[in-house]
Amino acid sequence: MALLREVYEALEDIVGPDNITEEPATLDSYAYQWIAELVADGSKFLTRPEAVLLPGSTEEVQAIVKTCNRYKLKFHVYSTGWGPWAAAPTEGQILLDLRRMDRIVEIDEQNMFAVVEPYVMAGQLQAEAMKVGLNNHISGAGAGTSVLANAACFQGGGPDCIYFASPQDSTLAIEWVMPTGDILRTGSLGSDLGWFCAEGPGPSAQGVIRGALAGAGGWGVITKVAVRLVHWPGPSVMPIEGTVPAYNSTLPENLFRATFPAFPSWQAFADAVYKIYDSEIGYIAHRQFIMWGDELQAAFLKVVTDPTRQLCDLKELLEMPEIQQLTEEMRRNFQLILVGMTQRDLEYQQKVLDHILSETGGWNVALVDEPAMQRYVLLYMIKLCFKNLNFTASGSFLDTYNTIASPDVWASEEMETVKELMKKYAGRIVDAGEQAMGPLSGQAGGGISGWENFVFYDPQDPDSVKASMEVSDEGDKIKAEKGRPPGGMLLGLARGTHGDEEIRAKKLSKSPEYRWQRKLKEVLDPNGVGSGNYFWGAEPSKEGKK
Amino acid sequence: MALEDYRATVKRCSRCSYCKWIPFAHVKSWRFAKGCPSIEFNKFQSYSASGRFAVSLSLLEGRISYTDGLLDIVFKCMLDGSCDVSCKVCRYDLEPVEVMRQLRFKLIDDGQFPPQDIPLIDNLRKEDNMMMKSKAERGKWAEGLDVKDLTQEEAEVAFHVGCRLCYDEELWRIPRTVVTLLRNAGIDVGIMGRDENCCGGRLCDMGYRGEFIKYAENNIEAWTTAGVKTVVTACSDGYHAFKRLYPAELDSKFEVLHITELLDRLIKEGKIKFSKTVPMTVTYHDPCHLGRRGEPYVPWSGEQKKIRGQVLVYEPRKPRNNGALGIYEPPRNVLRSIPGLELVEMERNREYAWCCGAGAGVMERYPDFSSLTAGERIEEASATGAEAIVSACPWCERNFIDVINDRGERMKVYDIVDLVREAL
Repeated sequence: MALLREVYEALEDIVGPDNITEEPATLDSYAYQWIAELVADGSKFLTRPEAVLLPGSTEEVQAIVKTCNRYKLKFHVYSTGWGPWAAAPTEGQILLDLRRMDRIVEIDEQNMFAVVEPYVMAGQLQAEAMKVGLNNHISGAGAGTSVLANAACFQGGGPDCIYFASPQDSTLAIEWVMPTGDILRTGSLGSDLGWFCAEGPGPSAQGVIRGALAGAGGWGVITKVAVRLVHWPGPSVMPIEGTVPAYNSTLPENLFRATFPAFPSWQAFADAVYKIYDSEIGYIAHRQFIMWGDELQAAFLKVVTDPTRQLCDLKELLEMPEIQQLTEEMRRNFQLILVGMTQRDLEYQQKVLDHILSETGGWNVALVDEPAMQRYVLLYMIKLCFKNLNFTASGSFLDTYNTIASPDVWASEEMETVKELMKKYAGRIVDAGEQAMGPLSGQAGGGISGWENFVFYDPQDPDSVKASMEVSDEGDKIKAEKGRPPGGMLLGLARGTHGDEEIRAKKLSKSPEYRWQRKLKEVLDPNGVGSGNYFWGAEPSKEGKK
Repeated sequence: MALEDYRATVKRCSRCSYCKWIPFAHVKSWRFAKGCPSIEFNKFQSYSASGRFAVSLSLLEGRISYTDGLLDIVFKCMLDGSCDVSCKVCRYDLEPVEVMRQLRFKLIDDGQFPPQDIPLIDNLRKEDNMMMKSKAERGKWAEGLDVKDLTQEEAEVAFHVGCRLCYDEELWRIPRTVVTLLRNAGIDVGIMGRDENCCGGRLCDMGYRGEFIKYAENNIEAWTTAGVKTVVTACSDGYHAFKRLYPAELDSKFEVLHITELLDRLIKEGKIKFSKTVPMTVTYHDPCHLGRRGEPYVPWSGEQKKIRGQVLVYEPRKPRNNGALGIYEPPRNVLRSIPGLELVEMERNREYAWCCGAGAGVMERYPDFSSLTAGERIEEASATGAEAIVSACPWCERNFIDVINDRGERMKVYDIVDLVREAL
């Protein structure tokens, strides 16, 4: 169903002929997505948009949205466009690719915040912030994701929340083109007082736009956002050494230290997490390398830090006694990056960590003290520049049995439950063991913890795809039996966005959060032109009646 | 291999966008973080490597048919390989450049080519070059030089000049200097002169694999007849063709050296000595086909297997070709050895350098896009404070010169050979 020429011409008048296309090959490039095969009967292609537009300013976005209201045309919007929620959920939609809106509007060094447009990557902002002694939160998805999307459109948490705070606490004023085409400037910006505050003086819409999970592009278009920055005591440009892909960075030893605390039991692990919260140490705290599984993480680390190695070396590495020993040492470990604002500060944090390890019977995995590993881990965790190593093993991943809870959850028997679940599917998915990756804290100073249990599968192998969904669903079922909320996040979001009404209905019936999102959507988007997202799906009005 | 053989590969792209940026470890600023000129200046997703994976799959699945728009997507790219390096920071199983090459081969095989190619290919068929010049003019650059004619006598070393240097009179000083330097260093060097053939490398990147094979066979035969053991070139297109494509397609066994490798060696051996200072601050532009795409070809035969259930591995070990083994240090060694010369680096350098914009036929097919890409590099060079940009490829240099002249900028453009000559 092509756009009516009248509509196309109206949109073309706004962005210019070079910034709108209906070329089928290009439209298919916007339909092709990571994990599409899970919800599109094995195809890599989700729904084709009718046209793609590249607006270059807030004014152009506003004009497009008003045009959509005039013609009752649905629009879907994205920044980097990564993930199935970025593709148009239904036919008959246009897609707004915001890549031309890519400016860092401002870095306010004194007041420690930055203002960005949608297509500024976290890695770009970080490079500029470091030049003035500051740093920005990077979501767990890594340096190549949009600062604005993480701040205002998605959950956006990540390894650094323990120091940097959660995205909901770091997001300041917002410029918002609402689904009606009206522009709302929130917080202090709404009173022409600048970008420094989310809540006022001026209208606060933080709970609506941002909340815990945000609107995933379903609340119109966020065109600018201010985000809080934190102190960075390191060099203005991180020095990079090493041969591609095993890059590394030498940082001042008196201010930076990577550690791998590991524990004899999950109870000791949980105790240590509480003690880290209580003592307020750490700049970044995350179970990162466990993404490769507790059985493979040691061998994988050897591969990715040596440019001459490849995945075919895993077999040989896994048979080496030193790797087997390291695998055992690393089983219940996490990555804790200590950053001192002064040398004394780092020394203090190290002493506290040593004390916590001594109290809990833990140890620091010696591997991380090797200079080359220090350099690699510091670079990895500070820049989050290798996050796509998630895809290295088999080409794609899903998740199962995700958990967000107090650190007690680490001490529950659930870690063993999920490990058994993964073993049951081993072979059809990567046989890696326990893969519970996640931040030690989702809040500044500590507070919530949890994991995202990876399931590595081959996206072009139908049986592997099927197995990944089965393990994700079975994890959900087991969690439900334990009275926990659903936990296969990626599959749920993909299904939610692309039309699985049953899944959405289940969520709507159980979760007040989803019900309120629905109600707000109807108020804010009376013509229903703003696209569906995983909260309200492709056809919100139909679901609203359920 | 054909595009069909990459069907599984094009389904495994994670659509993460790493291909659009330099490796994130190396991002030093907002301004110079981008890696792919094609997506940068053409904007839509289909102009990225990831987008072309999608387009390839769409074509293979019969979802799309040939249109002018599709041709634009497929051919408006320098195949500079920035995407390949950034993708392979994390992926061990994807081959962005190879997929894009195969996509081009398929289109050309199916008779789908940009109309701009018609005069180029006509001239190639009549005159053996795409510079729109006659074959008779090919040897003019060497008039008056005392050098062996490989059509008449044998030599250990063939100096392959290449189409750009043969026909671009403003650049003739470069091959003439090379011949003098090599002869003065006691090297037994010869040239093919008027009878030199196009290397075919650019043709291959443009999608004309069959034409490329024809020129490669001719060159190999001519060098074999002339007793050549080593082929030296001052052109990065030629280097890539001889170093990677000839062994891959025709099992060619000649030693291949870029002039910067040979100069580095001769300087270290004391066979080239400098007597003058060149007081200048310069920045070096890594040509893509000498750097990340200039890695040696290593034959591989094996298969992709799965271990631990679904971990994708190649057995036996397959060369990664991720840019690690490109030629980066020899040109820098030469520059550092020149008295008085100060070398400063651009933000994007070595395996993650920004492209000059001339490669894979873009200069000929899409001159505006080519100029924008070159202009971006000149802005990056200017940001270093250097007064000159130095390269090791005449295609880069021509594109830079034209953009600088068009924009009225003051940046000077040199080939490394120019600076060596000035320091003698």
